[in-house]
Amino acid sequence: MEQFLQQVLNGLAVGGIYALVALGYTMVYGVLKLINFAHGDLFTIGAYLGLTLLVSCNLSGLLPVPLAVLAVFIMVALLVALIGFLLERAAYRPLRHAGRLSAVVSALGASIFFQNAVMLLYGARVYVYPDFLRPDFTVHLFGMNVPGVRLLVIAASIMLMLGLWAFIQRTRIGAAIRAVAIDPGAAQLMGINVDRIISLVFLIGPGLGGAAGLMVGIYYGQIDFTMGWSYGLKAFTAAILGGIGNIPGAMLGGLLLGVIEALAAGYIAIAWKDAIAFLVLILILIIRPTGILGERTADKL
Amino acid sequence: MKKILSCLAVLALLLPAVAWAGDFKIGLMCPLTGTWASEGQDMKNIVSLLVDEANARGGINGKKVTLVVEDDAGDPRTAALAAQKLASSEVLAVIGTYGSAVTEASQNILDESGLVQIGTGSTSVRLTEKGLPLFFRTCPRDDAQGKAAAAAIVKGGYKAVALLHDNSSYAKGLAEESRAILEAAGVKVIFFDALTPGERDYTAILTKLKAAGPDLVFFTGYYPETGMLLRQKKEMGWNVPMMGGDAANHQDLVKIAGAEAAAGYFFISPPLPQDMDSPEAASFLKAFKARYDTVPVSVWAVLAGDAFKAIEAALAAGKAEPEAMAAWLKQLKGMPGLSGSLGFDAKGDRVGEFYRTYKVDASGAFVLQPK
Repeated sequence: MEQFLQQVLNGLAVGGIYALVALGYTMVYGVLKLINFAHGDLFTIGAYLGLTLLVSCNLSGLLPVPLAVLAVFIMVALLVALIGFLLERAAYRPLRHAGRLSAVVSALGASIFFQNAVMLLYGARVYVYPDFLRPDFTVHLFGMNVPGVRLLVIAASIMLMLGLWAFIQRTRIGAAIRAVAIDPGAAQLMGINVDRIISLVFLIGPGLGGAAGLMVGIYYGQIDFTMGWSYGLKAFTAAILGGIGNIPGAMLGGLLLGVIEALAAGYIAIAWKDAIAFLVLILILIIRPTGILGERTADKL
Repeated sequence: MKKILSCLAVLALLLPAVAWAGDFKIGLMCPLTGTWASEGQDMKNIVSLLVDEANARGGINGKKVTLVVEDDAGDPRTAALAAQKLASSEVLAVIGTYGSAVTEASQNILDESGLVQIGTGSTSVRLTEKGLPLFFRTCPRDDAQGKAAAAAIVKGGYKAVALLHDNSSYAKGLAEESRAILEAAGVKVIFFDALTPGERDYTAILTKLKAAGPDLVFFTGYYPETGMLLRQKKEMGWNVPMMGGDAANHQDLVKIAGAEAAAGYFFISPPLPQDMDSPEAASFLKAFKARYDTVPVSVWAVLAGDAFKAIEAALAAGKAEPEAMAAWLKQLKGMPGLSGSLGFDAKGDRVGEFYRTYKVDASGAFVLQPK
């Protein structure tokens, strides 16, 4: 039982990161019906920018550590949001009326561009976040010793997700985003500036992705220029699992995928964990082709 | 007119051979560009240093040594071209190269040209099992490491070992090899599985490992995953000892794991000259430092130096013909080299104990353990 709880907790920490990255995929898909393949690389950029700000710009030396991490958290989210905004302007907006395939090719191109840019700027070597940034305490929970930083990662991802959910559900701008997701044409007739809403989505999604990259950097320490690929793939899967275009679905899908992986590794075979996770995905899609929570929240309003 | 031209052509072909007849020409094939460029640069630096030293001593039996370097870019296709260029430039023997697949691409070309080749960073078992009479290597084979790893585990007195690999052919081969030898030696392998390399979170795997209760975890893969495993193992508060193979021999391991988590970790690897106390290693290191103001970072490059030493010794014994050189190398045993004792068996594989144990100390330094 203790091992089971431990594995669930392991899975939640991994799944929290998947979910944060998945939100970026799902929001963009919601408004544009486009899979933003460059999203995983924006996540990588977040991890690298965080390291640059903390170490090279010596923010961690100027401020107390928790304050520096918080400041960098916000700065990275803003910077990656800006990159996401520029990405949409440069690579997606000119192709908005050009058919879906062109946009997908453009997204793949952007992904390759970002990945290589990071490699050329930082080099192909593995980078390591300094150790002292990580809060080092242990929490006793149900008879288990849980590293505190693990709980912080889970808590931070859940808080970010709930914040986003409240923003989408409770504010006027959130309502506008939902309206654009349902029907861009009708939303425009209702006086919503669709271009501005799409830009906003490209600020929020990449911002969260960049924040997730920073969290992975601080928590796991090691970052490299290809990390966005594997996290991106898993997060994309999580978005589909929960129902792409659906925000609570992305959260649920991410957490679920993390837990399935951990349990498959723990109880079946480590080498088979990805195969099992994807098998579960296929089974769920056979039973519910639109994912667990269906395609869009908006439909259920 | 045609006759004169063809005569001239024949002469032109002969000329280089005549011009260089007074020298020993030795080829070096190494990755000077591409992913493994740092390895190749080191190989070139080390071999040219040894060539210059040999010439400063008056050459080999009074003849100067010249080195012909070709870049293989760490790529099999480029390696085939490089091998052809070397074969047509009248070298006596070829040293190199790094990477089994790259070496393999050059093997047949050099063999058909009748040249002795000494591979340096080419550990795949297959390379010497083809029966090529002129192929040698100064690096150990992949299956030699399994024996050394099992010996270290038996010597450490461990009784219940967990084996973990990353599904790469190298790490999987090492894990399987070790398992067979360990079981024959009466050590229980209570866990055998593979992780996915390149991930960040291995806590699910560690939780499962911990439940199996091994007294040693042997992960046969590379240093980035090893670093993550050590770090997350410490985070869990699990103190089981952990060991690795030569793919863990990289200083970034300590950076990733943190010195505290890495302390006590040990791995087996061919030793670097700076860690050895033999006079050959010491004098080589001194000369290398004086010329390049750094130390060799990779053992594989040092093995290119050993390949040159073997060829130099064969030439000094008057064996310049490929067949004679090969026959002489196959009987060579126990010659002091840069990386320990040097010798070859009938297949062309290096003989002698070669793997040593390194342990990470509290400051995060790799310390070579006494034999």
